[in-house]
Amino acid sequence: MTLGGLFSERGVTGITFGQSVALVLPLGVVALETPGSVAVHFVSSLLAAIVWEAIFAVIRKHSFSFHGVTTALIFTIAIPADVQIWQVVLAVSLGAILGELVFGGRGFGFLQPATVALSLLLISFPEIQLRQPSQMLALATLPGAMMLLVLGFVSWRVLFAASVTVAVFFVGAEGGHEAMAVATAMAFGLVFVIGDPVSAASTNPGRWVFGGLAGGVVVVFSAGEVPTMDAIVLAGLIASVFAPLIDHLVTVIHARRRARRHA
Amino acid sequence: MTSVGLLGSDLPGLRPHFEVEEGDLVEKGQVLFTDRKDPRVAFVSPLAGRVTGISFGARKTLSSCIVTATEDASPDHATSPIEATDHQSIRDVLRSRGMWSAFRTRPFGRIPDADAKTLAIFVNACQASMRAPDPSVVLQGREDLFRLGISHLKQMTEGKVFVCQSPGEALCAQDDRVEVVSFGGTLAAGLSGTHIDCLYPIRAGIEVWTIGYQDVIAIGHLFATGQYLGERFFSVSGGGSAPARIVRSCLGAKISDICSEQESPCALAGDTLTGHPATYLGRFDLQISVGSNVIATTSVERRSHGSGPSALIATRALDNALAPDILPVPLLRALSIGDSETAKRLGCLALVEEDVAALSRVCTSGAPYEALLRLVLNELMAETA
Repeated sequence: MTLGGLFSERGVTGITFGQSVALVLPLGVVALETPGSVAVHFVSSLLAAIVWEAIFAVIRKHSFSFHGVTTALIFTIAIPADVQIWQVVLAVSLGAILGELVFGGRGFGFLQPATVALSLLLISFPEIQLRQPSQMLALATLPGAMMLLVLGFVSWRVLFAASVTVAVFFVGAEGGHEAMAVATAMAFGLVFVIGDPVSAASTNPGRWVFGGLAGGVVVVFSAGEVPTMDAIVLAGLIASVFAPLIDHLVTVIHARRRARRHA
Repeated sequence: MTSVGLLGSDLPGLRPHFEVEEGDLVEKGQVLFTDRKDPRVAFVSPLAGRVTGISFGARKTLSSCIVTATEDASPDHATSPIEATDHQSIRDVLRSRGMWSAFRTRPFGRIPDADAKTLAIFVNACQASMRAPDPSVVLQGREDLFRLGISHLKQMTEGKVFVCQSPGEALCAQDDRVEVVSFGGTLAAGLSGTHIDCLYPIRAGIEVWTIGYQDVIAIGHLFATGQYLGERFFSVSGGGSAPARIVRSCLGAKISDICSEQESPCALAGDTLTGHPATYLGRFDLQISVGSNVIATTSVERRSHGSGPSALIATRALDNALAPDILPVPLLRALSIGDSETAKRLGCLALVEEDVAALSRVCTSGAPYEALLRLVLNELMAETA
């Protein structure tokens, strides 16, 4: 059996655990960069996410789960130091509820709760700009990304398609940006926002389209600048809204091709 | 070896008409019961002994029939080769001498009707998992019987006989009617569903049959000697990295007869991923897993104790566990909600329970896809009937 199979044998919890482990190092980096705010942000977002998860578990008579940990981790890492606690609690609460809890919990919906929370934060408070990843944060993303790839919890097709799309427009274009700067800006959001297995497309051809779409939206929203975290988060949100449609079209085309092959 | 069991779970939908009673002495290859619908299809005893238990399930189906070896059982008597050259006489021999139950139809995984025609026969000679018996080892010294079996299979169909094997030296010679194809690389490579979906996709009105390589040897043996071959080779793999050992025993053998005393309490019929606790080996089980690496069933049970269903997350583990041209996540979603039309369009007709068994274990939802697939297949079967 594959390693990923062993993990997912623990169910959705295994995936949450894997993602949380992958997020520890990036959290450490931002904690070093902005020591004061990260602890406060993490505790408040974790409490908000977990409390809502517990409330929904009680209402729906499910067993308790702790998938909100990854929501809180991604959210904390992406937001800047000057976000107020009430803003954190509001965004994470709405993100967790609208992004996954109303669908029945982690894996039942088609959105990434952290992406939804970040998008709500951006839309509600236009003065907030998400943290622009440092090189250290990008580097700290790599070990976790490798682990998730090996476990099969993030699709290399999505990462590859999105990277290539962004690279073609930013690095390849005339007067383009330095590849290193673009990679630094993209790494964290690419793996944890765009690549999330719940919100990404779930068929292999669909994953190529999904990655390309997400990369394309990043390009459009960045308006020629080095991609910002804001652009990546909104791209992740838009792409994940289209993911079910992409999968549906892939399924229809696939079924048609099968029917023709068999005729 | 003390006893063997013929299990009703291996004979789906069959209602038996018994020709023996509990306590009767039977010879090896003697007819135990026939199909009530068609008495030409007979099921025979794989060893000489005494019938010690017959039990029925719901609606007069078979639950199990146990034959226990005895001292006073009559030895095999001399027999002569069976001469059967035409299609009809080969069919008669296979039906009346207990080899008909070696075939399974696709779609639906049933024992073929006595007069059913098949467009292709798929011989599964793949090593199903690392620890399953290696077909090339089992075939050593039995190549002639295998070849004879294949040549008789050729008579059973107007189409081709596909010999599907793991990568390596071809297990038999090719000709215009026999095609040898290698499959390897993924968890699903050893499954007949994968072979069929790649080589002869099922659509409405098509029926193909599958058969295991050891049953092909048994067919060869039956025609070469006139005797039923109840002997099969099984692998027993323990915990850790100890290599599997190959044991020679009998079709449907009692697991505790094959394993040692320490092993048998934690033995599963099947591999560690998809095996299940059992007293007797099933008709198509070739592998017994024992020891500490037997975790699959327990963890699935543990998950199903939780409240409510769990979610399906598209991890890579799902991609390897199914035939390559079938989209796993859409199919699993269709099975989960019982959408038989979509499942059919996505290729579920080529599949039976064994093809999705691994998915239940590697999928985050832990849904019982074997049972869900059977529900969908039953629905589709009712539509075509």
